[in-house]
Amino acid sequence: MKKSQRLLSMLISTALILTVAACNSKKDDTDKSEQQAEQKAEDNKGAEAAPAVEVEKTLFPKGTMTIYGYGNPQYLQYYYDDFLERHRDIAPEVEIKIVQAKNAQDAREKISMTYLSGALKDLPTCTYIDPVGLKDLANGDMILDMTDFLTPLLPKMVEGATVDGMVDGKMYGLPESVRPQLLFYNKSIFDEYGIDPSQMTTIEKWIEVGRELKEKSGGKTYLSYIDPGKNAWRYYGRRGLMPQANGRIWDDEGKVVMGTDPGTKKAMETLDTLMKEDLLFKSTIFEPPLYDACRKHQVATFYIGAFWDEFLRKNVPEMAGEWRVMNAPVFEKEQQGGAPVTGYFVILNNPDDPYTELAKMLWEDFTFNTEQRTKWVKRVDSENGPYANPISLEMLDDAFWKEPSDYYGGQSFRTAEAQGLQNPSKNLPVTAQDAEADVIISAELEAYVAGNQTMEEALQNMQKNLEGKIGQSEVK
Amino acid sequence: MIQALKRYKWPYLFIMPFFLLFLIFQLIPNIFTVVISLTKWNAIAKPQYVGLKNYQLLFCDQMFWDATWNTFIYWLISGIIIIVLALFIGSLLTSKQLKIKKIYSTITFLPNVCAVISMAIIFKLFFDTNEGLFNSILVSVGIPKQEWITGASLSKIPVIFLYSWRNIPWYTMIIVSGLLNISPDFYEAAHVDGANTVQQFFKITLPSLSNVLFFCFITLTSDAWKIFNESYMLKGPSTSNISLFQYMYDSGFTIFKMGYASAIGVVLTVILLVVSIVQFIIRKRQGEV
Repeated sequence: MKKSQRLLSMLISTALILTVAACNSKKDDTDKSEQQAEQKAEDNKGAEAAPAVEVEKTLFPKGTMTIYGYGNPQYLQYYYDDFLERHRDIAPEVEIKIVQAKNAQDAREKISMTYLSGALKDLPTCTYIDPVGLKDLANGDMILDMTDFLTPLLPKMVEGATVDGMVDGKMYGLPESVRPQLLFYNKSIFDEYGIDPSQMTTIEKWIEVGRELKEKSGGKTYLSYIDPGKNAWRYYGRRGLMPQANGRIWDDEGKVVMGTDPGTKKAMETLDTLMKEDLLFKSTIFEPPLYDACRKHQVATFYIGAFWDEFLRKNVPEMAGEWRVMNAPVFEKEQQGGAPVTGYFVILNNPDDPYTELAKMLWEDFTFNTEQRTKWVKRVDSENGPYANPISLEMLDDAFWKEPSDYYGGQSFRTAEAQGLQNPSKNLPVTAQDAEADVIISAELEAYVAGNQTMEEALQNMQKNLEGKIGQSEVK
Repeated sequence: MIQALKRYKWPYLFIMPFFLLFLIFQLIPNIFTVVISLTKWNAIAKPQYVGLKNYQLLFCDQMFWDATWNTFIYWLISGIIIIVLALFIGSLLTSKQLKIKKIYSTITFLPNVCAVISMAIIFKLFFDTNEGLFNSILVSVGIPKQEWITGASLSKIPVIFLYSWRNIPWYTMIIVSGLLNISPDFYEAAHVDGANTVQQFFKITLPSLSNVLFFCFITLTSDAWKIFNESYMLKGPSTSNISLFQYMYDSGFTIFKMGYASAIGVVLTVILLVVSIVQFIIRKRQGEV
């Protein structure tokens, strides 16, 4: 027994020694990489002082540059791989890997948790993010201030592209896209019932058309759709009717005005009219039943962001030629178009990351390289993949961005998207409390859509719950 | 104590890995959760101590009460459905009349090995209001379409359906192992005494399975109160079918109120403790523990 105990003790001791040795070796590795990082930082300092041409010649070390993306980021991989092939002189052994996040919140969660754990080597170099997440990450000093980099580029970009990516006067977000609210309509339905779609310039007339469609189709065709979940608020509220009607959640001091603001009431009453008159087909967005309803001509229009283009092309390709697109209808009184939605690309504040400069180059190339962007869009378009209009003014002037689209029966979707940005309404201000406010508002709106309360009750409950759970927002 | 440690150093050494893992991955995070629940923290800035404010907010929060009620319903209804059906299927699988038992056993266990997210997507299509299978069946027999997931009143049904469907096989397996331990002599004696199948079930099978059923009920309780995937994937309008665990997740990782989410976690732990203690007390009174 004693012999076996001794043997066991020896085994355990050996295992412990090996573990300690392994840890030390890892520590040595860490020390080495720290030294390398310091050396690199020194080199970078030198590079910063040198002219821009010298920076271009920096040789990026072998490795993988990680980017967090959501939606359908796999299509961007084509561009990134091509970019690397064109830059093999400075990045001969670099790869770009896109890690799919569920959405902007997921990307924000992954990044903040990695930061908290201290595992900086696991952080991506950059990520796509929405303005709410951007604000959080900037307040946590987790992303780089891009003011100096972006300032000289501002005259080359569409107006307001950087606005939602600013925190305390500093520009953190590299704008990736600015997309308007649009009205997609099925021309064949309008032809079938002899209704002129061009009259849908105002929300009031759009509703009138809905009534006519309902009547002429014997109740089969709905004006549009409504999601029974959180997307009802996102697409009809926050990004749709609310900014167009000058609705507000908070007043200028950050107090809750959701239940009392006249603009908010107007926006919500409009939705109430659409619901009461049964003009909206209730179905979850992005799910097969809604696409089936499109095929069966049950949904005539979509009042939604320009991103809906990629979903139509991808999910109902057989409807090519049926759909058309026009500017989102405006309220007769307010006369302002939909609020644009800006997507951002942010670079993480990670001194150990060797690819920070490469990420900037990548963004700049994607944003301003007309030839390469056109080549990429053609490839993505041929696969019915997603792409947005560029934010570069020069690129927008290119004839390619005015070309007709087969899917829209020869109408140029790209031109329509650019036109949709004219006369925009102002986005609802983004505060640190808006993610929570969206959850509270959406819960009440969902209960309304489900028929569990009236719109008046929903608005009262929104006011009460926002006051109870948030109180006051930090409007700056 | 030191003497005991010295005397039993080898047994203690061998059980140490479990306690180390328990300490690192269970006890410390639990204590950390309690500490965080007393703060306001968005996982980025430094936590601010707020005392019991999160708990005060929680008990005034209608969403929390809705989530608690929904979870209670999931636990109660699914618990009954799962135990009853698992008992029924288990009895069939151990029945002498059943041939090719291995095939039936494999088929019975299949739902448990299917990925819950994939199954939830399929169930979502089944329960769709406009194109779903269940509504097509209803319409074919003259019943109007129901808003299974999109309506507030029925949205708990798909969740209970999927949760029960996935868990019945697991509990069937446990019950089958219990049934196989009952001596056939009891049934033979009962048969000789003239007891019919129903009487045998209630007088022999159920009492013999009481310990197994108690184990099933305890594990099912802790599992059902932590239900997440099903309600997350088959989300209904507003809070109509949200579970407590899901509400905790949403509070923590959607709106980044880590202190608030931790407070929900603490309350959930307390609920589970209370339910388990009550179950043990009942068993003790029955003289089974």
